[in-house]
Amino acid sequence: MIHLQSVSMVYPDGTQALSGVDLHIERGEFAFGTGHSGSGKSTLLGLIYRDIVPTAGKVIVDGQDVAKLPPQRVPYLRRKVGIVFQDFRLLPQKTVWENVGFALDVVGASRREKYRKVPISLELVGLADKAEAFPHQLSAGEQQRVSIARALVKGPPILLADEPTGNLDPVASWDIIQLLRSICGQNTTVVVATHDREIVNRSKCRVIELVQGVIVRDDKQGGRYDAP
Amino acid sequence: MRLNTIEFLLHEGWEAAVRNGLVTLAAISNIAVALLILGGLVLAGVNLEHMAALQTQKAVIIVELANDADKNAVEQALWDDPRVEDVRFVDKEQAFKQMMAKLGLDVLEKDPDLLGVNVLPDSFHVKPSDPQDIEAVAQESEAIEGVAMARWAKQVTDKLLTLARGIRISGIVMGIVLGMAMLMIVSTTIRLTIYARRQEIRIMQLVGATGWFIRVPFVIEGVLDGLAGGALAAALLLPMYSYCEQYVAQNLQFVDLIYSTQALVLFGLAVVLCGVLFGAAGSLMSLHRYLRRA
Repeated sequence: MIHLQSVSMVYPDGTQALSGVDLHIERGEFAFGTGHSGSGKSTLLGLIYRDIVPTAGKVIVDGQDVAKLPPQRVPYLRRKVGIVFQDFRLLPQKTVWENVGFALDVVGASRREKYRKVPISLELVGLADKAEAFPHQLSAGEQQRVSIARALVKGPPILLADEPTGNLDPVASWDIIQLLRSICGQNTTVVVATHDREIVNRSKCRVIELVQGVIVRDDKQGGRYDAP
Repeated sequence: MRLNTIEFLLHEGWEAAVRNGLVTLAAISNIAVALLILGGLVLAGVNLEHMAALQTQKAVIIVELANDADKNAVEQALWDDPRVEDVRFVDKEQAFKQMMAKLGLDVLEKDPDLLGVNVLPDSFHVKPSDPQDIEAVAQESEAIEGVAMARWAKQVTDKLLTLARGIRISGIVMGIVLGMAMLMIVSTTIRLTIYARRQEIRIMQLVGATGWFIRVPFVIEGVLDGLAGGALAAALLLPMYSYCEQYVAQNLQFVDLIYSTQALVLFGLAVVLCGVLFGAAGSLMSLHRYLRRA
């Protein structure tokens, strides 16, 4: 599903974010990308949803070389990739329902499609009863669930989460990770970038560890992440 | 396009224009003032050219005969010029009566003996088929044996044309300046919206909205600003022009302003359309700058 072949990324300011990364993540797999801040986790995700283009190597997502994608095709790649961020990125003046529906509005979905898919997505993240609430009326964990519902509503084959638990307490964090893992079972590939050791170690999932832009460990069976 | 999509785009554009409140009002009034000035210049220019054209069309050369001239020979010589369309003889008495009538004097009716003091010569009124040739024809007819002098309303026509040219040039210059100003105003207004909604734009980009989908609400906002500004300008300009036209018709009979309801309506629509185009262009300008970076 996601294939990186000797990928290097150097930012215009000269920062070497990734060097010679080879990585293969299969359909339906769940993987953690771990490492310190600045180890290249977010860069890795950014390459997958083509927020950035690698300076060397190939990034192939769902059979497409993303670097060769013309700009006007990028939106169509993004429709296959749901993205969740540490800061939720919800629209404060829209309700939970509208925030999730927004992702369908902007890809030109019909009203019928919206009314069918939004409730399913909210049900999935356990927020069906909060549909009319505004983001500020929710806890941080609930807000992150809304953003996951928004990422899932288009039914993307890939879900990326960049430090999804960064703003959450340990209990809410664990809930979110459980939620992401349950989604993974449904034929969706999930990649979670995190530096939360506790979570990684409890999950016993594939762990890809990055140190200064290089993969130092790729442990497919419930690896531990011991770095501080 | 789906109904839901159209509704979404229109709603977003309208919402932004309303939310921007005062800035929107400022943009609308600025566009209105700019279009008012431009529209006024266009109307003035068109009318002056119209007047000049009327003058030129009326333009005849008055070829005055010397006292001992052979009238028929001169007429024949005048007709010999291929650029001449019409030659009409006006005798001195007729000329004097015409002049008195033009001046609005009724002295002749009171005292017909006054014809005796008439010093006007017999003359031919010569009309060239192309008003452009008026000068050349006049000069040549002056060379004809028996012609004392040829005169024509050179000054009036020339002045009108110069004035019209001046107005056209200043209209173009002001059009460019005011057009740029309008673009800047609209693009600044839209930039405020973009700034207020940068989070939304980012989310749209992340969930896979196409470039045009992101642009359309902003273009709608710009178009709404332009539409309102253009409509305001047209609503002020047309009654003002009608009033001017009526005033001139009643008080300055020798001035002839263009008046046609149909043309005025079309002109009003053109003003509105101009506003709409500037609105759309202004918002596209600032979107181009912003989305290139995003």
